[in-house]
Amino acid sequence: MRGLARLRILFRMAWRNLFNHKAKNTVVGLLMAFGAFLVVVGTSTLASIESAMTRSVTGSVAGHLQVYSDQARDQLALFGGGFMGASDVGTLPDFSQVKTTLLAVDNVKAVVPMGIDVAEFYTQTELDHAIESLRKALDAEDDARVARMEHKIRSMATLMAEEFGNRRKIMRTKAEIDEQLAGIRRATEDAFWQELRRDPVAGVTFLDTKLAPLVDENEGYGMQYIGTDLDAFVKSFDRFELVQGTLVPSGQRGMLVNQHFYDNSLRNRVARMFDRLRKQLHEKGKTLAGDPLLQNTVKRMVRQYRRITFQLEPEEAETLERDLKALLPEVKGNLDALVQAFLDVNDANFDARYAFFQEKIVPHIELYLFDIGDVITIRSYTRSGYPKSVNLKVYGTFTFHGLEESVLAGAHNLMDIMTFRDLYGVMTDEKRAELAEIKAEVGLADVKAENAEDALFGEASDVAATPVATTSTFDELAELKKAAKQGDAAAVERFTQDDIDHGLALNVAVLLKDPSRLEETWGALYGAIGRAKLGLQVVDWRIATGMVGQFVSLAGVVLYVALIIIFIVAIFIMNNTMVMATIERATEIGTMRAIGSRRLFILGLFFCETVILGAVAGVVGGLAGYGFMAHLGNVGIPAPSDELIFLFSGPRLFPTVDSGQVLVALALIVVISVVATLFPAWVATRIQPIVAMQAKE
Amino acid sequence: MRAALATLLLATLLAPAASAAPLSPEETQQVLVHLDDMQRNGGDYKALIYLESKQKDKEDLVYQLVAYRRDADDKLMMLFLKPKTEAGKGYLRIDKNLFMYDPTTGKWDRRTERERIAGTDSNRADYDESRLAEEFVPTYVGEEKLGKYAVHHITMKAKSDADVAYPVMDIWVDQATGNLLKQQERAASGKLMRTTYYPKWDKLWSPSKGADVYFPREIRIFDEVEKGNRTVVAIQEVDLSALPLNIFTKAWLESKTR
Repeated sequence: MRGLARLRILFRMAWRNLFNHKAKNTVVGLLMAFGAFLVVVGTSTLASIESAMTRSVTGSVAGHLQVYSDQARDQLALFGGGFMGASDVGTLPDFSQVKTTLLAVDNVKAVVPMGIDVAEFYTQTELDHAIESLRKALDAEDDARVARMEHKIRSMATLMAEEFGNRRKIMRTKAEIDEQLAGIRRATEDAFWQELRRDPVAGVTFLDTKLAPLVDENEGYGMQYIGTDLDAFVKSFDRFELVQGTLVPSGQRGMLVNQHFYDNSLRNRVARMFDRLRKQLHEKGKTLAGDPLLQNTVKRMVRQYRRITFQLEPEEAETLERDLKALLPEVKGNLDALVQAFLDVNDANFDARYAFFQEKIVPHIELYLFDIGDVITIRSYTRSGYPKSVNLKVYGTFTFHGLEESVLAGAHNLMDIMTFRDLYGVMTDEKRAELAEIKAEVGLADVKAENAEDALFGEASDVAATPVATTSTFDELAELKKAAKQGDAAAVERFTQDDIDHGLALNVAVLLKDPSRLEETWGALYGAIGRAKLGLQVVDWRIATGMVGQFVSLAGVVLYVALIIIFIVAIFIMNNTMVMATIERATEIGTMRAIGSRRLFILGLFFCETVILGAVAGVVGGLAGYGFMAHLGNVGIPAPSDELIFLFSGPRLFPTVDSGQVLVALALIVVISVVATLFPAWVATRIQPIVAMQAKE
Repeated sequence: MRAALATLLLATLLAPAASAAPLSPEETQQVLVHLDDMQRNGGDYKALIYLESKQKDKEDLVYQLVAYRRDADDKLMMLFLKPKTEAGKGYLRIDKNLFMYDPTTGKWDRRTERERIAGTDSNRADYDESRLAEEFVPTYVGEEKLGKYAVHHITMKAKSDADVAYPVMDIWVDQATGNLLKQQERAASGKLMRTTYYPKWDKLWSPSKGADVYFPREIRIFDEVEKGNRTVVAIQEVDLSALPLNIFTKAWLESKTR
C-alpha cells in the first residue's frame, strides 16, 4: 500500500517536473518522437518494398529459389550482375534428372527450366534491304519491281551524294572521299542502270560492295532472352500477361517479345522520340524552351531523318515532299532537307507536327522492325564470336502485370527452350560422333603452344615443300547435297515434353506451395540434390536477381545504420540535457534529500520522468508515423525511376503499416530514454542535502 | 618467268655467304614479294580444308570446308561442308567486303576482317592469297634460329589503306627454302594476339602460272590472348582447275545450299 502511494507521489512529482522544464523536455520529446516516427516509417517502408519486390521477382522470372550448377564460374544474376561480359553459370546437361529430384521435395510446386542469353535481332540498312530486293527482282525477272528498286536506290544515292559532298568540304584529304563520291554518283546515272540490266551480277555486286558499305547507320538490336518451357513458364509465373497475339503453341518453336522492349527498342526511332516528347510536354508539363534535355532529343530526332526518307516508296516520297513544301514553304531543298526541317520542332508547332506525323508519315513507314506473326532472324554468338542464327516466329507480346513500365522487367523476352539450345550450340552425342569421324579422317596430332617450336621444327621436321599432284577427287557440291538430304536430326521442328525435359538448361526456377517455408525447403532441396549427386547449388530469389535483389538488404542496412546513428545522437543529447537539468535542479534535489528523500526515490523520480516523456513521445511519433504510412498506403509513393518501378512492383508503392510496428517503436524509445537517463539519475543521487542549505545561504 | 627470277634472286639472297649480313630494305621487300609470288596462282584455286579448334574447357570444334580463290580478281569464297549443322554456310569476300551466309536463315551478313572464321582462331587472311608485300612495310630484324632452321626475322607494319586483321606482324622465313615458318600478329598497342606456325609446305604445278604454286599443308594458330586456345588449318587437297565464272556471287552460294 505504501509502495503504491509512493509510486503515485513519484508520478505526480515527475509530471509536475516535466511541465516545470517545458523547453528542455519539448526538445528531448521531439527528438524521441522523431525517432519513433522514423522507426515506424522506415520499417514499414522496407517491409512493403520487400513484399512488393518479392511479388515482382518471384512472380515474373525468378521463382522463390533458383538452382544451377555448383561448377558455375559466376554467380547467377537474372537481372544482371553489374559486371561486363556474359556470365558463366555452367550447364545442367539433363534437366529431367533435376526436375525429378526437385519435384520430389515437399513444398515444391513447380520447376521451370531456363537459359538466359543475349542475341541480336538481325537488321539490314534500308539500302542493303533495297539492294537485296533488287537482286531478287532481277533474278525473278520482275521488271516492275526492278524499276521500283532502281528508283529507290537512285534516290538514296542522290541523298548520299549530297551528304558526302558536304563531308568533302570539311575533309583535309580528299582522295578517299572522292573515290566514294565517284561510286555514289555512278549509282545515280542512267548508264549504270542500263548496264545493270545487261549484267545484273556485276551491277548488284557494285551496289553491294561499293555503295552499301558507305551507309553506316545500321545498328544491332541486342535482345535478352530466356529460353524456357513456355507452357510451364506461363502456368507458373502469375505476373505473366499476354498483350498482343497468341501464346506459342505447345511443342512448337517460337518467341514472345516483351511489350516494353517492343515499344521502346523496336519501334521506329522517330516515332519513339515524337511520343517521348509528347509525354514530357503534355503529361509532365515541360516545355522545349525550358528543358535542355528535350532540346537535345529534338536535335537527335532531326538526325534520324533517314528513318523516314529511306523507307518511302518513290510515289510516297513525292507525295510527302509535296505536303511538306505546303507545310514549310520557307524551306528550300529536297525531301531530306524538308524532313529535317519538319522534325526540328518547338513548343509552338509541336502539336501540329505530331498530328501531321501521325496522319501523313506513320501510314507509310514500318512502325516496328517486325510485326507480330513475322518470322525474324535471331543471331547469337558463341564465346569465340562465331554467329549462330535461327529464324523464329514471333507469336505475341507479353508483359508482367504491374511492371509494364519497368525497364528491368521489360528486358527479358521469351523463347522456346529447343531454339535456345540451338543458339547456345549444344553438343549432342550425334554431333560429337560426327566430329570424331571427321577428326579421325585427318588424324592430326595435337601440338601445344609450350612445345610448338620443338615439335614442329625439331630434327625430324622438314619444311621444304613436297611436290603434290593436282587433284579433283573431291566433289564438295555432292557433299552438300548429301548433307541436305540427310537433314539435320538436331533441328526438331515439333517437340514433346520429353524433348524439353531431356536436354540442357542453365538454371531452374523453383516455385513453392508455401513461400513462408522457403528456408526449410531450401535445406530439403540441398539434401535431395546431395543424395542424387547432381552437383547443384540453390540460391533464393534475392541472390539470384543479382544486384537488384540485394537492394532490399542494402536498404535495410542503410536504414538500421541510420537509426542507430540517430539513437546514439539522441542518447547523447538527452544525456547532456538531463545532466544540465540535474545540475540546475541541484537545490531542489538537495532540499528533497534534506527533508528525508532517499537516493532510491530520487533515482525513481528521474526514471519516472523519462519513461513518461518517452512514452508520450513514442506514442505521438509512432501514431504520426502510422498515420503518415496509412496516408501513403492510400495515395501511394510514386516510383521516380525505372529501377524503383521494379522494386515497388509497379509505378507506385502502396505501403502497409501495422500496430506491431508502432509498439516496437514505442518500446524502443522508452528503452533508449531509460538508457539516456542512467548517468544523470546517478548524478542526481550523489547530490547532498548540504547543497540546498548552501544555496539558501 | 617472274617467279623464276624471284626464286633466283631469293636463292642469291639466301646463300650461306650472304646470310651473315643483314638484308637491305630492298632485299627484305623482295623476301615478301617472293613469299606472295610462290603462293599466288595465275588462275583459279580450290582447296579442301580441315579446320580444328581447341578451346580451353570446351569440346573441340571440327569443320571441313572448301576455299575458292580467284587471285586475279582478289576474290575468295569459303563454303562449309561438315558437320551437318554447318553445311552450306559460307563466306564471300569481294574487294574489302566480307559477307557471311547462313542457309538456315537465308540471310547475308557483313563481317569484318577480324572475323574469327567459324569461331576459331583463324581469320579470312589464313585462307586467302598472300598479299604481304602489298599490305605491309617490312623492316629487317635479324637472323635467328627457329628449331633447326636458320631464319630471317622481319617485322612489318600495315600500310594505311590495307585491310588487315592486325596492324603489326613479325614473320620468320626459312633462309634455305624461302618458306614462311612463323608469324606473330600484334594489335596497334603492341599486344601479341596470335602466333602462327607453318611447319609443312606442299607445291603443285600450275599450268596457268607456269610455275609451282606453294601452299601450307598445315597451319597451327595459337591464341595469345586466350592462352590454351589453338586452331589447326590443314589443306587436304588442292585443285587448280578453272572454276565457274559466276562462282564468286551471292546467288551462286545461295543456289548451292538452297
